[in-house]
Amino acid sequence: MDNLSIRVEEGELRGLIGPNGSGKTTFINLLSGLYKPTSGGVYFFGKRIDRLSPEDITQGGIMRTFQVARLFGDMTVLENMLIPAFTQGTSRREATRRAKELLDFSLLGRLSHEPARILSGGQSMLLQIVRGFMRQPLRLYLLDEPFNGVHPTIKEVMIKTIQKMNREEGISFLVVSHELTIVRRLCSRISVLHAGRLISEGTMREVANDPLVIDSYLGG
Amino acid sequence: MENPGETRIRKFKGVSLLLAGAAGAGLLPFWTGQYYQQIFTIAFYYVALASTWNLIAGYTGQFSLAHHAFAAIGGYASALWVIHAGFPIWTGILAALLSSTLMGFILGVLCLRMRAIYLAIATWAFAESVRISLAMAYGITRGDLGLAVPKVFLGTGRAVACYYLFLGLATATILAVFLINRSKMGYYLRAIRDDEMVARVMGIKTTRWKIFSFVISSGIAGLAGAFYGHYNGLLTPVMVDFNEMAFIVIMVVIGGIRTISGPVIGAILIEILTETFREFGEIRMVIFALAVIAIARLYNEGAIGTVRLFAQWMSRR
Repeated sequence: MDNLSIRVEEGELRGLIGPNGSGKTTFINLLSGLYKPTSGGVYFFGKRIDRLSPEDITQGGIMRTFQVARLFGDMTVLENMLIPAFTQGTSRREATRRAKELLDFSLLGRLSHEPARILSGGQSMLLQIVRGFMRQPLRLYLLDEPFNGVHPTIKEVMIKTIQKMNREEGISFLVVSHELTIVRRLCSRISVLHAGRLISEGTMREVANDPLVIDSYLGG
Repeated sequence: MENPGETRIRKFKGVSLLLAGAAGAGLLPFWTGQYYQQIFTIAFYYVALASTWNLIAGYTGQFSLAHHAFAAIGGYASALWVIHAGFPIWTGILAALLSSTLMGFILGVLCLRMRAIYLAIATWAFAESVRISLAMAYGITRGDLGLAVPKVFLGTGRAVACYYLFLGLATATILAVFLINRSKMGYYLRAIRDDEMVARVMGIKTTRWKIFSFVISSGIAGLAGAFYGHYNGLLTPVMVDFNEMAFIVIMVVIGGIRTISGPVIGAILIEILTETFREFGEIRMVIFALAVIAIARLYNEGAIGTVRLFAQWMSRR
């Protein structure tokens, strides 16, 4: 990361794009506390969080997903869902109710009692996203390449779930993706990274016409 | 499964099954002689050790090689307390619980941030240090000559009384592990084993829960060690030989790691086999080790998994 400054507004759906190796995942690792910045800081609702542990950052209302779905494979789909709720002290009854509601909406309900390891790649990615919604209140959700290699039907479910949670619960999203069609559909503003630097920011139309972006990412 | 009502039913079923098993085991002394009562008494001691090692290694994924050392710490703490302070045995057992818990906490804080192989090496080094210290502190522990420990339940009927004492210890241990596994803590421990980084991102304070499970396991191991010392009447540093740790691992793997009943079946089975084939000496360990390799390579569900498969096969017929 090099002199990078990005500000995500409350309730915003922000896209983060850029060529491979531009630092998108590193940026998410910094925000979620897995990496510590050597200089500069990360602020969340005015509070500096870059010195906090990943678990404390999560407790503060930030969740994330990983590029390759990382689930608790030996646990069932439902058990995977319960964990984020348990860590914030939600009762088993309330956690189960919300988990079932979310799983049904994302069409994973019938798999509730199956071990997570048997899910397909797309289902795993979907579960990884839905699991994050178990944290309440969730204020910022960092999605790292959530649509990568996912079947179009599941992608559609993901998009609808993200839009619903943004609309109904006011969750802000930072979506890292190479799927520009989806990013255009989902996100009102887009930030473009190149070699660890922010090279452009604005609506999809604005960044798509930015010569720097065309030169370094979109090609022209 | 996670519906609260269903969870309660499963918990009730599990506890009922455990109590029924304990009640069944409670009838054994009526049909067996002193020899088998003694074998089962020792088997119950290993049930406590195997079940608690399964909690840290099986459920939490922390491969500690110091579990036998905590049993020794408990055993020696209680014995020395009773011998030197002259207090009753039950206070010694409390001292054992406290000392092994405290040592578990200290070792946990020092080692549980380490990853797999480093944790195994560090805990093994700790266990070896305990063994060497016990051997060298001749003035206090009488070293390799062994420490004569005041026994519990003197007189006739001792074997039966000890049998029930150790049965109670094993039952309480299994119950504790079962309840932990069904609680929120159980979810955290399994999540940590599956993927520690994701567990942290989910908000689980992983180090805290790892230490907590380590402390509980060490405490119960120390308690079991104290019971063992006051039952056997003699403690030597042999208690901390690596063979002892290997036995615990063998019991858990052969019985079925990451299950409640696996370590119970494994401990009883291995203890009976060890006694039955006593004349084969160290060869027994070689055979057990080969069985562990075969199970780890071919079918890691162990004996309990085989029983389940058989039950499923029977129900389909």
